[in-house]
Parts: sequence; C-alpha cells; structure tokens
Amino acid sequence: MDLVDLITEKRFIGQEFLTWLWYKSDERGGTVLLPEMEEDITLVFEKHMLLEFGEGDSHEKIVCQGLQAELKEARTGLRMGKKLEQARIHMIRGEYEWHMTIKASLMEFRSVKVPKTMDGADEGDDPEAVEGRLLDRIGLLETVYKTFDELLGQFIKIRISDQWPDEADKISTWIHKSDN
Amino acid sequence: MGLLSSAATFVRYSVVGDIPQNFWDMAADQISRFAFKDIDETYEEFSVGWVSVLNMFDAEFAYASFAAGDHICLTMRVDERKVSPKVLKKFCLKEEERIKKERQIPKLSRGQKIEIKENMELMLMKRAVPVPATYDLVWNLAENTVLFFSTNQKAQALLEDFFKDTFDLLLSLQIPYTTAERFLDASERQALANISPAVLV
Repeated sequence: MDLVDLITEKRFIGQEFLTWLWYKSDERGGTVLLPEMEEDITLVFEKHMLLEFGEGDSHEKIVCQGLQAELKEARTGLRMGKKLEQARIHMIRGEYEWHMTIKASLMEFRSVKVPKTMDGADEGDDPEAVEGRLLDRIGLLETVYKTFDELLGQFIKIRISDQWPDEADKISTWIHKSDN
Repeated sequence: MGLLSSAATFVRYSVVGDIPQNFWDMAADQISRFAFKDIDETYEEFSVGWVSVLNMFDAEFAYASFAAGDHICLTMRVDERKVSPKVLKKFCLKEEERIKKERQIPKLSRGQKIEIKENMELMLMKRAVPVPATYDLVWNLAENTVLFFSTNQKAQALLEDFFKDTFDLLLSLQIPYTTAERFLDASERQALANISPAVLV
C-alpha cells in the first residue's frame, strides 16, 4: 500500500492511540509510565481537543475548548463514536515542561513550546554558543517525538495482541464513566 | 513556526538509503551546489535553495555552518513571483478596452484575448517582487531522521523532491502506521496490517 492510501485507510491508528493515551493519563491523574526507562511522566490533556467522525460528505468535526476538568463535551463526543484527532498536551519530564498540540492521524507536532534550559549568561554570540543553543533546542524537540514514539510502541504492542479486547473494554468503561 | 520560533510545528521523515562514507564532504559540496540563488534582479519566476537556519540571506555556509553536532540544519528558501488573479483580470480588461478603442472594433476574438492575457501576465510577472517563504529542517544523521518544520503539503512535496535532488536520498513521511511498524517484527507487522478500526463505545 502506498503512503497516500496508508494515510487514508490507517488514520484510525493515530486517533485510537491518542484516545488510549488520554485514557492512560486520566486513569492515573495525569501520569503515564514510559516502560523502557521505567519513568513516570506527566501528560495532561488540556484546553483544546478536536474530534472527528465519518468520511467524505458525512465528515463531521467538533472542537472542544476548556480546562482539563471541563472537557465533558469531548468525552460526550467519544461516547457518540467520534475519534480524537487533535489534542493540546502539557508534558512534564524530569524538571522540564513542554506544551504541544498533537494531530493524531498524521502524527504532526504543532505549536510545540519547549522548556527554557539556559540562563542569560550562556547566551553568547560566538559560533560555539550558537551551535550549543541550536543543539539544545533540537534535543528538546527530539525528546517530544521520542516520548510519543515510545508510547506509540507501547500502544501498538497492546493493540495487535490478545490483550486488546480487555484494554478496549477498559477504555469503553472509562468513556462511559464520565457520564456521572 | 520554524525550528527557532517559540512555537515550533513539525513532521518527521525517515531517510531511505545509505549515507555514503565521505558524507560530510559530499554534503558540503551538494548544499553549496543547491544553495539559494537570489532572483530579485532577474525575471525568473521561481527559485528554491538552501540557506542558513539563522539567516535567510546567508547561502554561503562559512565554516560548514549547516552542521550542529550530528545534525545538519538547513532552511529551504522558496522565492516566487506571483500575480494576483484579480490584478491580472484588471490589466487584461484594461488592455482589451484600449485595443478595441484604438482599432474601432466592438469585439475581440478569443485568440486576441489569449494573446493579451499572455502579454499582461508576462508584464506583471516582471514587475512582481518575489515573495519569500522559508522552511527549516533538521537531519539527525545518527538516526537518519529529518524533522521538517511545516505541515503545508505543497512545501512537503517540494522538500521531498529538492532533498532527493540535493542528496540523492529519498524521504519517507512518518505517520503513526509507519512509525508503529518500526517497533514490530514481521509477524506483528502482518497483524498490524490486518487490524480494523475499534469500536470503543
């Protein structure tokens, strides 16, 4: 299958991953385990979500905005079978914090705000200092996609295994729990 | 939205193919060969080329300034002369009116109108100032991954072609499916190919 077909036919994989990640984060109050490093990180879904449903002419989109606790509309959307396509996420790893929007179907990282790691004294203009700052920034951006790669790897192993029906039941229970 | 902006937006590519052993020399030559060429003083409609991520007017890359550790950082600069369709239409109608008056004729033929349009387009194109656009990329050589700082599909298609022209290597956009494949063995990949959308309600 070529890339154009894969993008269309398999877009649900990214959307299911983002939904699963929201469930995983919500289940532990905003904390998610990165299995490889056995590291707990904070991933909070906040402020902005976009859900979609259907294809072609019957394609629908809903945008939900609000604080984390107020994303009820998005949860209602999930209950109606809509898929989570885009979410604003606040990530904390160690002492650093990032903010980003993930577009699920294409794995686009949008409006990524990286932590400030250097203080004013380090900010010289000589080529070494410039290269240092560039590498620092690249490292912080790479941390974003590497974190999500690891989580996607974790998701996909479950998704294709016989653990999936059980995991899907748990997600479904979580979606309906928010009725209360 | 670029590499250095406070809110960066990017997609990821895998680089397909092996990097040659004398890569850094080859890269320096090729980047210089495909460096951006200014068209401000010419009548060319379009120019694409590499410039420094720090300065869109630097296409010289003194001291291999595109290198940062194991990474190559470049900006693809695209300058394009464009004529707004409304402006073109206005000038065509104006010229048509002028010719009709001059020749004392009520109507112009289809061929005459086409000729006028071509002439006006050429004239306006020469007068248009090239509009610049810049798109950053970071190539991690150790992992053979490219971060491209734009979600614009036209820019992505242009990058894929221009990267191939410059380095003779293909780029493959990483979407969740292709990224997931990297975590799986052959039988698991088959299982991935077979899954259908889950019903989670």
